Amino acid sequence: MSPSTCPVNDTIVNIDAFITAGRLKNPRSRRIAEEMLELLHDVAWGRAGSDHLAAMQSLARELIEDGPDADSREAGKIADAALSEYHEVFVSHVETHNCSTGDCIKLAPAPCQMACPSGIDVPTYVTLIGLGRDAEAIEVIRKDNPFPWVCGLVCTRPCEFMCVRGRIDTPISIKFLKAFAAERALSERNYKSPPKEPDKGKKVCVIGAGPGGMTAAYYLALKGYEVSVLEALPVAGGMIMVGIPRYRLPREVIDREVAMIEDLGVEFRYNTKFGEDVTLDQLKKEGFEAFFFAIGAHNSFKLGIVGETDFPQSIDAIDLLRNVALGDRHIPGKKVIIIGGGNVAIDAARTCLRLGSEEVTIAYRRARTEMPADEEEVEQAEEEGVHLSFLTVPIEIIGRDGQLSGMKCLRAELVAKKGSSRKSPVPIEGSDFIMEADAVISAIGQKVDNACMRSLPDLDWTRRGTIDVNMSCMETNLEGIFAAGDAVTGPATVVEAIGGGKKAAEAIDRYLSGIPQPTMPPVPVRRDRVDWLEVPATTKMVLKRPEMPLLNIDRRRTTFQQVELGYSENMVREEARRCLRCDICRRCGDCVAVCRDKMKIDALKMGYLDFDHPVKTDFRLTEERCIACGACAENCPNEAMRIEDREGERVLSLCGTILNRQKLVNCDSCGAVIGPAKYLDYIKRKVDTISQVADDRTLCEVCARKQAIIVGGIPTSHL
Amino acid sequence: MSKYYLFQDSKKCIGCHSCEIQCKTNKALPVGPKPCQIIHVGPKMIGGLPRASYVFMPCFHCENPWCVAACPTGAMQQRAKDGIVFVDHNLCVGCKTCVSACPWGAPQWNPETGKVVKCDYCMDRIDAGLKPACVTVCTTHCLHFGKVEEMTQMRRERHARSVAALEEVNPS
Repeated sequence: MSPSTCPVNDTIVNIDAFITAGRLKNPRSRRIAEEMLELLHDVAWGRAGSDHLAAMQSLARELIEDGPDADSREAGKIADAALSEYHEVFVSHVETHNCSTGDCIKLAPAPCQMACPSGIDVPTYVTLIGLGRDAEAIEVIRKDNPFPWVCGLVCTRPCEFMCVRGRIDTPISIKFLKAFAAERALSERNYKSPPKEPDKGKKVCVIGAGPGGMTAAYYLALKGYEVSVLEALPVAGGMIMVGIPRYRLPREVIDREVAMIEDLGVEFRYNTKFGEDVTLDQLKKEGFEAFFFAIGAHNSFKLGIVGETDFPQSIDAIDLLRNVALGDRHIPGKKVIIIGGGNVAIDAARTCLRLGSEEVTIAYRRARTEMPADEEEVEQAEEEGVHLSFLTVPIEIIGRDGQLSGMKCLRAELVAKKGSSRKSPVPIEGSDFIMEADAVISAIGQKVDNACMRSLPDLDWTRRGTIDVNMSCMETNLEGIFAAGDAVTGPATVVEAIGGGKKAAEAIDRYLSGIPQPTMPPVPVRRDRVDWLEVPATTKMVLKRPEMPLLNIDRRRTTFQQVELGYSENMVREEARRCLRCDICRRCGDCVAVCRDKMKIDALKMGYLDFDHPVKTDFRLTEERCIACGACAENCPNEAMRIEDREGERVLSLCGTILNRQKLVNCDSCGAVIGPAKYLDYIKRKVDTISQVADDRTLCEVCARKQAIIVGGIPTSHL
Repeated sequence: MSKYYLFQDSKKCIGCHSCEIQCKTNKALPVGPKPCQIIHVGPKMIGGLPRASYVFMPCFHCENPWCVAACPTGAMQQRAKDGIVFVDHNLCVGCKTCVSACPWGAPQWNPETGKVVKCDYCMDRIDAGLKPACVTVCTTHCLHFGKVEEMTQMRRERHARSVAALEEVNPS
């Protein structure tokens, strides 16, 4: 029941209409309504406290019960209805300082934060990194995501795809900035966990030490629960340890961030498979009151073609990656074919190269543009020598005497299918050909291993074979049992699992405290509102996203050393200065419209406002035409556009980007500032048609007013 | 020139600023803007006595107003039927060109709304048959408002009084 307009803003509009239309004739009713309006504004501006809602409710009741006329009672009823029907939205405004519809303009969130599945307050931490305050940035990130270093290296970065700067040139390198800050804070011993809440004396069991499970463990431990994490493998990390290869994510990164969670007193039980080594009843007897299943999706989908199970050289990518991660670094074959087009296929291919395979080919049934894998990953794989074979559909794995010798394939063509945005590959009759190989690795997707869950026969599953949960609180149909991560979403991303884990931790806390679960999914929290970094317009436009320095190609083809070497400190600080601070400027376009349509000056060139027909944005262009009148700043609803006089100059800036700076002219009489020459010139040209006043001096308004009396500047007709 | 005339009998004015307060209250203005203002001139020693004068400064509603010419948005206007110069707040964008253009400092800046406010002779009150807010509360009845032609009699009387007063104050 997520409303499309904001109920807080709607209530403000409704109550304000009652007052301005003069419908509240009774003075007491009017005073109550005005008081309520003030409280509503507090909520809409993010300055409300926990008592605001109760206070508004009692004011509304007062109007309903004691209202002397129908209008008073109606106003009360409107407010009361909104407060009870959309209670969660009001609470969310107070607690998160975020209005997801953006109607409460002070609380309109930045697109990057809304895109992040774990809801990190991106503009805040990017600015903190720009200020060199890395430890504080990590503190902000860890309020929503306990793995800034891991995510800084392997996140699929949905934030960067929504980055508004990407509409001007390239998105901010949000992902890597996070990794830099984490590394720096750890190295300086400033990477710390917040203090734990007092012990609640309740035990929670987390099944699966992947990103989802460990995230839930982290937040639950902080809330004062005793948490134990069961893990089937001998190491923590789940897919980030056994799915993502070491050249993308070094083990030390995982170990250090897992250690932070262990430090909070979370117990890890390795080599413990739920359903085999331990049962739900045993765990309940141990005193666990809530269970969180984050068992991931570690089973491979099968190709279902002839010969798939006939040869030991036909393997699953997930198995290969897991074995390699756990130390079994044996070459699968000299000539390898990987089937699939996702990140796992790319990871498997690049791993094979590093293990010594001489020829690695990825066979994908669609074309390059349809590949779900990250584009940069595909490029890096190609650089390392991985071959890509598109529109290739495997139909049979061939060989003899237990030795695989190749794969029979068909060529495909892409055909648009009704009801699907993605084109489907259709095999071309008679186009079959044979690809030679001594190993075939399939990477066509994973599914949840549900064998371990047999002891919970009543658990609801989706048609896709994932655990069915209420997505607003990750609760399953069984009481006290929650689930998230790949086990719920199917194979997805690290950051989605983290977001799910965080959501589940909050829900488990509510469950164990006897608080009802919300009906709406939680909204990302705006953690802070740090002031922006001041950057001249030219610098803002000239700064470019830095290229990621990479390990030399020989080492990339032979070792598992980290490929992306990271930015230098200078690159990171400069990159943070490119941020447009969309948490403050909500891109409403009022400034542009006032300058263009009302003032007819058209000095602001900000094209990214129009997403469908983008005009080139260039902050540098303002300076030429702008007269520094300040109408844009006066009409900015969020104080993003700022005009101020300082050090003899009038400075116009948008979220810290200095658009214009002009020298100020002073009053000839008292020395007060009257504005820049360009501005005074503009006025002079406008009033030229009217004869000038006798006195030709440049005077401020106060002096002019006095002058009018003392010198007799008032036209004689007035006296 | 507007067809109205707001006349201050400065001999009667004691500088109590009631007009300013009533003006601001009527327009619900915050600290800062004063559409009309009493300017305190003096004291000067005249005939061995300190003398001060209080000059009432509203807007003069010029015939060819600088503010109207300077306004880029058409917010500052002259009312056709009676020549009152006023701001349409819906059109004002807060560029302050009128503030800079007016030689008498009549347009005032309202920091609360980010727009300009000025004396419009309380035209809503005039249209309702009332007098401007400032005139209604003048403690010494030194402010008079009316059509120019109605004011001539008063000017004559005032002139006569002022001539008489001059003789008394300044024998030289």
